[in-house]
Amino acid sequence: MTAKMKRRVNKALADKNLQTALPTFMLITKVARQIGMQGIDFSTLRDELRRVKEKSIANLPQLVQQFKAQATKAGAVVYEAKDAQDVNNYILKLAREHNVKQIVKSKSMVTEEIELNKHLKDAGIEVTETDLGEYIVQLAGEKPSHLVGPAIHKTIEQIAELFSKVTGEKLGFDPQKLVEVARRILRQAYLNADMGISGANIAIAETGTLVIVTNEANGCLVTTLPPIHVAVVGYEKLVSSLDDATAILKLLSRNTTGQKQSVYVSYITGPSATTAISEVPLFGVQGPGELHIILVDNGRMQMRESDEFKEALYCIKCGACLNICPVFGSVAGQTYGYIYQGGIGAILTAFLHGMDKAVDPASLCMNCMACTEVCPSHIDIPRMILRLRTKFVEENGLSLTRKIAYHGILSHPKRLNTAISIGSRLQSPFVGKDSMVRRLPYPLNSLTRTISLPALAQHPLRDRLKAFSSPRAGTHPAVAFYAGCVADYAYPEIGDDVMKYLQECGAAPYYPQEQTCCGAPALVTGDEETCIKLAKINIAAIEEMNPDYIVTVCPGCAVMLQQEYPRLLANDPEWSLRAEAISTKVKDFSQLVLELTPSAQKMLSQNLKVTYHDPCYLRRGLGIYHEPRQLLQREGFEIVEMNDADACCGFAGTFVLEYPELSGSILNRKLNNIEATGADIVVTNCIPCVLQLRGGLDKRNSNIKVMHSAELLASYHKSRHINT
Amino acid sequence: MVATSTPELVEQFKSVASNVVAVVYEAEGAEDANNYVVKLAQEHNVKRVVKSKSVVATEIGLNKYLEDAGFEVTETDIEEWIAQLAGERPSPKKLEEIAELFSKAIGERLEPDPQVLLKAARRYLRQSIINADMGISGANIAIAETGTLVIINSEGNARLVATLPLIHVAMIGREKLVSSLNDAATILKLLSKNAAGYKMPGYITYISGRSTTADIPGAPMIRAQGPEEVHIVLLDSHKQIKEFNEETYRLP
Repeated sequence: MTAKMKRRVNKALADKNLQTALPTFMLITKVARQIGMQGIDFSTLRDELRRVKEKSIANLPQLVQQFKAQATKAGAVVYEAKDAQDVNNYILKLAREHNVKQIVKSKSMVTEEIELNKHLKDAGIEVTETDLGEYIVQLAGEKPSHLVGPAIHKTIEQIAELFSKVTGEKLGFDPQKLVEVARRILRQAYLNADMGISGANIAIAETGTLVIVTNEANGCLVTTLPPIHVAVVGYEKLVSSLDDATAILKLLSRNTTGQKQSVYVSYITGPSATTAISEVPLFGVQGPGELHIILVDNGRMQMRESDEFKEALYCIKCGACLNICPVFGSVAGQTYGYIYQGGIGAILTAFLHGMDKAVDPASLCMNCMACTEVCPSHIDIPRMILRLRTKFVEENGLSLTRKIAYHGILSHPKRLNTAISIGSRLQSPFVGKDSMVRRLPYPLNSLTRTISLPALAQHPLRDRLKAFSSPRAGTHPAVAFYAGCVADYAYPEIGDDVMKYLQECGAAPYYPQEQTCCGAPALVTGDEETCIKLAKINIAAIEEMNPDYIVTVCPGCAVMLQQEYPRLLANDPEWSLRAEAISTKVKDFSQLVLELTPSAQKMLSQNLKVTYHDPCYLRRGLGIYHEPRQLLQREGFEIVEMNDADACCGFAGTFVLEYPELSGSILNRKLNNIEATGADIVVTNCIPCVLQLRGGLDKRNSNIKVMHSAELLASYHKSRHINT
Repeated sequence: MVATSTPELVEQFKSVASNVVAVVYEAEGAEDANNYVVKLAQEHNVKRVVKSKSVVATEIGLNKYLEDAGFEVTETDIEEWIAQLAGERPSPKKLEEIAELFSKAIGERLEPDPQVLLKAARRYLRQSIINADMGISGANIAIAETGTLVIINSEGNARLVATLPLIHVAMIGREKLVSSLNDAATILKLLSKNAAGYKMPGYITYISGRSTTADIPGAPMIRAQGPEEVHIVLLDSHKQIKEFNEETYRLP
């Protein structure tokens, strides 16, 4: 993360207009998508779309040849452009040859990627954007703040002012009137234009057809009214057939705006032609006489060659990932710094502008995986972000701070212990009421502005459980407790609750003493080397007593044990089998309790209202969201669901350290949703989430308690026993 | 196999199209359809109407009905315009005849040269569409699941007729209704194939409702760039289509 990025983030967070517009935007898009998903089977449709995209990208060279042949037969000129300069030169030359003075444009991300407008303007050609949102940001001289809604950050007042300047008259704030002003301006622009430039959502190879999707009709008008039409199309838009195009159309609008179809879908094959005047087709009778289709590479073919990143080409630019992204929902698109926004944008930026440029926008990804649930092409954006970070570290090494932190301390369990121990003494001037640290000195002061931190425990869990380092002989099931460092060093009392409750359930829990940090902080920032080292230490520690289960209270750790360790060690013949053996035994606390105790303990005499927060790595990483609720309800707790229970709390491992204010903004939304339920307790199954939620509620002086399921169940179990 | 028109499909189409603010009118016969269009034009103070090819409109004699009611109607497909100017079918094909017709309509002497005639036609028809208060088109297919009209056109005028004037009226026979986007794609594939491979018509436009925008804060706005009103006149031609017939969908 660069200083520039930090400034952009803070600027966005401080932008009152943006911060007013964004929550509304997030709500509208959420509801819209829900409507869009009605009546269809998203899962099946996106499997189909994924297959279409995989096939298309795999066959890209053949599709290009086929498209060229067909489009040329229909009278179009097809030009294959290598890079940005190539495209710009072609268009400039064409414009000069035809004495073009005025151009109208419909939305095209590719043309923004290559900065076409700037080149045209420098050549003295007037360009008018015709997508209303793009027109507004063009007038404002800004970059778009969202892929599909470029001007969501603009208020009605700002738009009225922009239009007033264009028309020379003072315009009011009536949205409908402003739309009609734009209609007049743009209508005139179309009729005066010498050339129309568009993108294309899809290019169909077997017929040489371009497909353009709009709601306003500007896609129709830009491509039909001027005498020359230039379409700029990235290679990844190519599909084979009409059926393949339909697979995209079935999801594109529904996923973005919730519409069953956008109002206009224009299929264009060749320039406008007639045989009514002469037998030989005459071009330019009603629409353009010339159609130039520029197919653009600019890094796409290189992306296609990469097994790790080619799925970024499956993107259909629907923007659903942006709409659901908690980070985007706090800072919007201009913050990313490049034309493509969000996590997918960071990947595209790596290939279009260079990997070193992509690291900054990539640092904004929390890896919460919300995007993976809505992507119509099943793209695993978080996975690619991790690969990008790993690649960057491989090629450039770790920063000094991280090198010290990971190589120097984290990968050496004893040193980590010592560091924590030192910390637990140094912290004393800062520890306040309830063992909370509410103010730390620079450079951690911005962190404690956002959340209050738990004090490091004087007696970490590992020390308390020295007597439980192996299961009692002959007892089953033996459950290895992999607690994770936050439970170990900050919330050992929760660890105690886990041990006790599992014993009550008839299991034999124990705490392997050699366990250490799971390595997630290192992995998430691209340091696979440290993570592999820690994986081996933890696997050896856990397998020693051959447990029946491994119970976890941090889903981040659970995902490491269950998924990442086998992946990281897949090529190591000795360790891969050991990693696999461990992975099948990993259980979340609630999941394990349900398995061990088929019937309820029914501790409560009356229903107590709680709300439940889904940790990202439990719900989306492990697919567990039913079991924690089931267990709570079975034991007599009534769950009042909050809005967006599965939205990230903002902690996201190292993210809260890197971007504390941004994390705080995301946390704020979560806390508002919690408070709105009226519940006195928010339960969750993730220790870092507990830290974040408790820390934020403390800043609000809230009375709402945050508890891990183990804590809650253990406390009521204890009180029941006391009562009887 | 493509699902052909059924009462359930008509109801679905009407419901979905209404949701995207297209007005669907089920006409009972030619006179009913003609009256609907004339009444609509009167209500909106329409003076000039432009048309792109519609088999249904031709069958019910819509042009004459409109002209009798005092509206100016201009056909915008070149072939249809020539036939309109000549007052006869089939339309004249000889260059000299076409030049004479165009010259009379435009009011200037035009050479019987294809490029000259092309440019003149383009200017004249383009201006007609821009000046028009209402655009009437046909449609080749109607899709029930999305409330979509599919208009196939080779010159591009149908797209302009449907998007430039403030009111768009689409005339379509009920038998052209199909269930899904996939069905429509199947039909288009069949229509665009000939002995030599694919020959896709130049312009195919899917229209689902009326032009809208959400780029200015507030509820989705109308009169953004396209029509303010979209009317779909469904005619029952009492054709019973038992199986998919390519010919059904070939003409708008």
